[in-house]
Amino acid sequence: MTKLFTSQKFRRTAVQVLFVAVVAMFILATIIVGRTNIADQGIATGFGFLNQTTGWPVSFSLTDVGPRSTYTQVLFAGLLNTMLVGFMTLIFATVLGLLLALMRISSNSLMKLVGTTYVEVFRNVPVILQVFFWYAILTHFPGPRQAYSLADMAFFSNRGLMLPAPSLSGLDVAIFLIGCVAIGFGLKSFKPKKSGLRLPLAILAAVALFGVLLLTGREADVPLWSVPELKGLRFVGGVSLKPEFSALLIGLTLFGASYIGEIIRGGLISVDKGKLEAGSALGMSPFQINRYIRIPLAFRAMLPSLSNQYIWLMKGTTVGIAIGYPDYFAIVSTSINQSGQTMELLALLMGGFIVVNYSIGFAMNLLNTRLKLKGRS
Amino acid sequence: MLTKLMKLATVASLAFATATSAQAQDEGVLGEIKARDSLLCTGHNGSYLGFAEVDAQGEWQGFDIEMCRALATAILGSPDKAQIIPISWAQRFPAIQSGDIDVIIKVTGWTMTRDTELGLQYSRPYFIGPFYVMSRSDLGAQSISDLDGGVFCVNAGTTVERVLADYMETNGIEYQPLAFEKGEELRAALYAGRCDAIAGFGPFLSSTRVNAPNPDDFTIIGDVIKLEPEGIVVRQGEDDFLDVINWMVTALLLAEENGITSENVDEIKANPPSATVERLLGVTPGVGTRLGLQDDWAYNVIKTVGNYGQIYDRTIGDGSRYKLPRGLNNLWNNGGLLYPLVLD
Repeated sequence: MTKLFTSQKFRRTAVQVLFVAVVAMFILATIIVGRTNIADQGIATGFGFLNQTTGWPVSFSLTDVGPRSTYTQVLFAGLLNTMLVGFMTLIFATVLGLLLALMRISSNSLMKLVGTTYVEVFRNVPVILQVFFWYAILTHFPGPRQAYSLADMAFFSNRGLMLPAPSLSGLDVAIFLIGCVAIGFGLKSFKPKKSGLRLPLAILAAVALFGVLLLTGREADVPLWSVPELKGLRFVGGVSLKPEFSALLIGLTLFGASYIGEIIRGGLISVDKGKLEAGSALGMSPFQINRYIRIPLAFRAMLPSLSNQYIWLMKGTTVGIAIGYPDYFAIVSTSINQSGQTMELLALLMGGFIVVNYSIGFAMNLLNTRLKLKGRS
Repeated sequence: MLTKLMKLATVASLAFATATSAQAQDEGVLGEIKARDSLLCTGHNGSYLGFAEVDAQGEWQGFDIEMCRALATAILGSPDKAQIIPISWAQRFPAIQSGDIDVIIKVTGWTMTRDTELGLQYSRPYFIGPFYVMSRSDLGAQSISDLDGGVFCVNAGTTVERVLADYMETNGIEYQPLAFEKGEELRAALYAGRCDAIAGFGPFLSSTRVNAPNPDDFTIIGDVIKLEPEGIVVRQGEDDFLDVINWMVTALLLAEENGITSENVDEIKANPPSATVERLLGVTPGVGTRLGLQDDWAYNVIKTVGNYGQIYDRTIGDGSRYKLPRGLNNLWNNGGLLYPLVLD
């Protein structure tokens, strides 16, 4: 027996087993206590409510949901809303961030000043205040009847931006997006004699697909383009960018860009100066140096912090609840109030964000693996 | 010690005096009220605008407060004997069970759970709690259907969200919903013009309107999208007290029905137009003794507090800053739902 305790291997294993057992018991006890308490209060548990209709409308959604939709459908619509605003933020913030980084490392002192001022202002103000600020601005424009109009095709008012749009159904849009991805992959293996032909060909294919969908996918009497038109209290037709969506997108993008700009700048200046000098010694142009030496090397350096920032921004979409944008968090919050299924909905909330953010992390890791220097581990 | 003894003696002698003067020996809370010579009513922790609020002079004002004063006048002869206890929404039920207050007059909806499981008893509804829509005045909407296609803002996660969806679907009106988590954001969006209308409990809409930069920019539309009957609540088993409350409300309504106001009550008492009015104002006896009150209690109430319409106008109606339409809280012969019981 004493021999057993003097064995270092046994002691280490025992401590680990004990630790896991204690944690498991703690979790189990929490679940049991929680369940009994909820049952004592006469509250129904389980996920059965997901099939019930909600009875309340959602102000903005990509799918068609209303008071007669089930909780599953409404929660899914909320998740899509979060992903829509989240991914658009990531794209715009990255582009703007890249610009800021280039401004800050440029030798032009005016550019430097502008870049630095931007970063310091937008990085140091809480994101929720920025979102409130943009929302207040967007909602203080004139009402729909006094809307600014551009050739009676596009309108801007405190109800948002109304734009003409092709008469495509949601299904058409999905087919088009899938088609574009397919064209992209198809052209990758297609190698014309002149490499300059690839991009024009891809665009031509996409336009053709769009044309076919536009001509076939609609009812006979529907016009090709739907133009917004003031009817009573609102605009009908076209597509609208609601102020809640725009304010959230603008606020998050401007805020995120200041962080992403700093990450990119860090990546760019981490590139060894000697390598850049080697480039110019070889007679490469500044563009070539950037394209073939600086950016590839910098990209590797900044990828880990960039994934962190992307995930952070995706979680940042939850401030949408403050200005009435029905993101996943807002939908879950309303569902909790309406159905009373707090625990289940909180679990779904966390689960949804884990899935979305894990996917971002996974994609970034994949990119990292492909980009990292081969032959080193 | 001495003051305590004296207080006790006063209370005892008062109780004795009341007990001997009243026709029947009062038991329960009605007896306690008379012995204490004050009525303990619900106020609010803060202000519930229009119903229970503290004015610039530090005095309680509002519709529910006036109801309490009317009840105090009916039982004790003076509105000053109403004592208002500040209390939150959640506290009101435990407080009445523990005897901290005698009666709940606090826009309390008559629900089955409260009526049966909390050991409470409701008076007949004294107020019909309406859910209304308030729209921007410049839209010129006369009814909700005039707002077809408009943006309707609501508080997220409330019953209003569902009530409005139901109403719009039933009436075939299209609308664009917009839900805000916090009342402040909802108000800001309305004032900025993001919403064409907001839906909510009438008093909430009134306070939203009054606090607007320019209240005349917003109009409450008369269409009721849903209603909740509000009753006065007492502890289970206080039947005598509940009788007094129900007949107090009837007296207020009967006075309005017969055009008796606090100004002309003396004239009418001197020259009553009908036997009912005679009985109501105590010209012929009976209205008081049967409830264990003075025969002139209804006269006192009308004289000091006014009739139902006067109370409404002064606190939440056209005479107040809230301008809540009378709507369903009008008398039956004016298109409302309220009616007095039969005073025979």
